[in-house]
Amino acid sequence: MFKNYLKIAWRNLRKNKGYSIINIGGLALGMAVALIIGFWMYDELTRDSYFKNKDKIAQVYQSQAFNGRIDTGPAIPLPLEPALRDGYADNFKHIMMASWTQDSYIKYKENSISRPGNYMQPVAPELLNLEILKGEKDGLREINSIMISKSTADALFGKEDPIGKILKISNQYDLNVTAVYQDIPFNNTFNSTDYIIPWDNYVANREWIKNSLDHWDNNSFQMFVQLAENADMESVSETIRNVKKDLNEDTAEFNPQLFLLPMEDWYLRNNFEDGKQVGGRIKYVWLFGIIGAFVLLLACINFMNLSTARSEKRAKEVGVRKSIGSQKGQLIYQFLSESFLVVLFAFVVAIAIVLLSLDGFNELASKEITFPWGIGMFWLISVGFIIFTALLAGSYPALYLSSFKPVDVLKGTFKTGKYASLPRKILVVIQFTVSVAFIIGTVIVMQQINYAKNRPIGYDRNGLIQIPTWSADFQGKTDIMREQFIKSGAVTAMATSSSPTTRVWSNRSGFTWEGKPDGFQEDFAWTEVSPEYASTLNLKVVQGRDFSRDMASDSLGILINRTAVKYMGLENPVGTVIRDSDKENLTPSMKILGVVEDIISQSPYEPVKQAWYVYDRNNNFSYYNLRLNPGQSAKQNLAIVERVFKENFPAIPFEYDFVDDEYAAKFAAEQRIGTLSGIFTALAILISCLGLFGLTSFVAEQRTKEIGVRKVLGATIFNVWNMLSKDFLKLITISCFIAIPIAYYVMNGWLQEYPYRVILKWWIFALAVFGAMGVTVLTVSFQAIKAAKANPVKSLRTE
Amino acid sequence: MHYETNKKIHMLLQLNNIFKWVQSGGQRVFLLKDINLSVEEGEFISIMGPSGSGKSTLLNVIGMLDGFNEGEYNFMDEPVHTLKEKHRANLYKQYIGFVFQAYHLIDELTVKENLEMPLLYNKTSSSERKALVADSLDRFNIVGKKDLFPSQLSGGQQQLVGIARALITSPKLILADEPTGNLNSKQGEEIMELFKQLNNDGVTIIQVTHSEKNAAYGSRIINLLDGRRI
Ligand SMILES: Nc1ncnc2c1ncn2[C@@H]1O[C@H](COP(=O)(O)OP(=O)(O)OP(=O)(O)O)[C@@H](O)[C@H]1O
Ligand SMILES: [Mg+2]
Repeated sequence: MFKNYLKIAWRNLRKNKGYSIINIGGLALGMAVALIIGFWMYDELTRDSYFKNKDKIAQVYQSQAFNGRIDTGPAIPLPLEPALRDGYADNFKHIMMASWTQDSYIKYKENSISRPGNYMQPVAPELLNLEILKGEKDGLREINSIMISKSTADALFGKEDPIGKILKISNQYDLNVTAVYQDIPFNNTFNSTDYIIPWDNYVANREWIKNSLDHWDNNSFQMFVQLAENADMESVSETIRNVKKDLNEDTAEFNPQLFLLPMEDWYLRNNFEDGKQVGGRIKYVWLFGIIGAFVLLLACINFMNLSTARSEKRAKEVGVRKSIGSQKGQLIYQFLSESFLVVLFAFVVAIAIVLLSLDGFNELASKEITFPWGIGMFWLISVGFIIFTALLAGSYPALYLSSFKPVDVLKGTFKTGKYASLPRKILVVIQFTVSVAFIIGTVIVMQQINYAKNRPIGYDRNGLIQIPTWSADFQGKTDIMREQFIKSGAVTAMATSSSPTTRVWSNRSGFTWEGKPDGFQEDFAWTEVSPEYASTLNLKVVQGRDFSRDMASDSLGILINRTAVKYMGLENPVGTVIRDSDKENLTPSMKILGVVEDIISQSPYEPVKQAWYVYDRNNNFSYYNLRLNPGQSAKQNLAIVERVFKENFPAIPFEYDFVDDEYAAKFAAEQRIGTLSGIFTALAILISCLGLFGLTSFVAEQRTKEIGVRKVLGATIFNVWNMLSKDFLKLITISCFIAIPIAYYVMNGWLQEYPYRVILKWWIFALAVFGAMGVTVLTVSFQAIKAAKANPVKSLRTE
Repeated sequence: MHYETNKKIHMLLQLNNIFKWVQSGGQRVFLLKDINLSVEEGEFISIMGPSGSGKSTLLNVIGMLDGFNEGEYNFMDEPVHTLKEKHRANLYKQYIGFVFQAYHLIDELTVKENLEMPLLYNKTSSSERKALVADSLDRFNIVGKKDLFPSQLSGGQQQLVGIARALITSPKLILADEPTGNLNSKQGEEIMELFKQLNNDGVTIIQVTHSEKNAAYGSRIINLLDGRRI
């Protein structure tokens, strides 16, 4: 029997090729979208699955209140380590201090490369369950040892055995390679950790860290833990909550709250508001999940609509089968198996589409998703997915078709119009509601991105490059380099800075100034710069003056931004003296020389933070900032800059970034979401239009005779077109009325997350409406005009 | 007493005071009014009457494709009016075959597959199905057409297949609604001859017809006017 059903289904598909292509093609597109989104979600949700003890690993986080605003982050102070090891050891299997991941030059003989890595305590290989390929697992015992990833080993040593060889880090320290580990795969935290150096080495070689060992107020380090076997994440988190507050009176005013962020939340739920966890990326995972489900739903609606529209053709078959003895159940079964066949076909086509587009998608979404050929679970889920889709798409037509009464059908007076058209109309309305809402959403996302992109950033980022200077070689050469760069003609100005222009790496507090309100808990973005900083960036000094090399006293000067003036409550900022609150004799007091324009160095969606630009007295710089000569091409300039660089630092690879690229990277996440939702919207519209196209062709076919009669009676092509299009346009109008409030509500909520946001304008909605109408008219007209132009004599003769 | 029992065994179906109506503008429009009819096994009945008199309606009620509002209907001692759809379907798929004026073959299936379909619903085994289909093709002389689709046959040939399909489950009763209505007179005669022959073999036949000549093939004529027997 099943074979008989499939045979009929197959012959029907072949007989109505246009219908089949629309149906299978639309469904395949929908399924491909659902599959790709499914892969993407799976990839997001299974991040960090490389780590065997994922559910036992956590990072220590801290919330502190500054002037009523609660900041939460992973930076913790050094004395916390002995505090936890002494008083709370039972709760943890491992405690591991770690530095932030940072790029360093690694040199072996004449071969020098720049790689990111961390300083970590010796338990790292165990905690991260590194797979040791060569050397010893316990390779971080000796202070001068280093473990490197396989890719780093290959790049440095080629075929040579790295174990026991000596590497030079930042051209400063010699380290002995003790192990090579398998690179931690993409889609895992520490994926970019290409070397690990003992934590003790980090401390021993840096005065400021040694000085911080008993300072609870220097929150500059990371701590990872693995819980003891029987310990519970939440209760341990609760146990350590007040450790810092209880042990240190000085910082108690900031109400420091410690807690554990479990590894499974690192990537997906790491946003905090007012000290509370408020999700994060997980929101986008679900958002795309919903988009995928909707696109699939649209495709299923096509299937339902086209099947029921064709019901007149199938009605006779239903009548005959019933009169021969088929029961309703058997007919439902038959139509469901037809739907199953179509879905199966569509699934095969969908897999082909996925295979063809996966590379492009990976690029867009910056993923490394591969097709899970060998994974049984995937196929199992796929079978479920096929059955689910077949039921979703086939159930309505099956129930509808199987409920025909044979008497009605066989009498020949049967007309489906009345019965079928209402559900069909509702489904079309749903389709276009989703499409219109998608259009509005996408336009708003794009607008918000553009709005933030066009926000004035306070300096000129074009033709500005930054060169990292993380090696001891750069010390003492700044003035020579500036001279040589400028003399070469490729560069018009150069300044150093302790952090990149597009970022804030350091925040400071503990200062006082005249007029500072009592109990004011200050917090400033802190960048140390050479005197040419403002002029190199074209950063406008709006009050007072810039640094000057001619004034020796400027070495104790600072520039502050506009926001800082307001933040500090200064009437006349220039000349204000700033003192260190507690160690007055240690840090000399500084004087405000001038006020500069606010520059966006953090999120382009947030208000600019109060910032200090401090004269760099201690050669504490990490970047050269170069203003390229606008009179020459960037390519020419860069070639010259590289040459000058190489002449002075032959052992160091020449690396640079364009500041505008770095700035653009801030939009990457939103841009990706914008691009992806744009693509999915286009597909949703395409699928909806396919359905509409199919529907119109059926309606036109059904009304061929009527159209013929009307034409004989004098109807023009326009009359006929109008007659056929009007119904659909009415439906689209209803869709718009439903979609607009929904889209407004959802997108307004989304925008609330961005303090710097675009104002929703009515024309966005008008655009979406006209877009949807336009597409509908085009789609419908194609069929309508074809029907209207047909020779009436022909269509009438067939009756 | 003995006579009564004997008669009951031969009784195929019995309609008692059947009424059928539809609501139209707040009024009942009667399609069938107080129909009483007994059909014995082996009869060949012709239903006649002007267009719109309810002939098809009556046939559909007998064939259980359509319901009725009042009255009793017993088919082979089963009270049809009280049966569930599933049971009813079992009944007619076992005992009743339909022949339609417009043939109503399934366009997507070949002649052979059309013939096979009732057997599939009957859950006849595959080997038996093959045998029955082969027999039927043979009997109606359409072996050469077995792989053609309905659209490739003439009207008369299609009706032949329609009858063959109705007969393949060896029903006790054939219901035919103007089986010759779409055929020319020669083709019509052939179909009527076939019915005569089937009736001689013991199949009960009820046909609707407008033609006196066709009605004459039958053993009894039932006349309808405005849904009422006259
Ligand atoms: N669902 C219905 N609603 C209203 N009236 C109906 C319905 N079905 C049938 N009728 C009416 O019932 C009457 C009988 O119809 P039926 O099809 O049985 O006639 P008929 O005797 O077979 O006519 P013909 O010889 O033209 O086939 C007709 O007047 C028809 O209009
Ligand atoms: Mg009739």
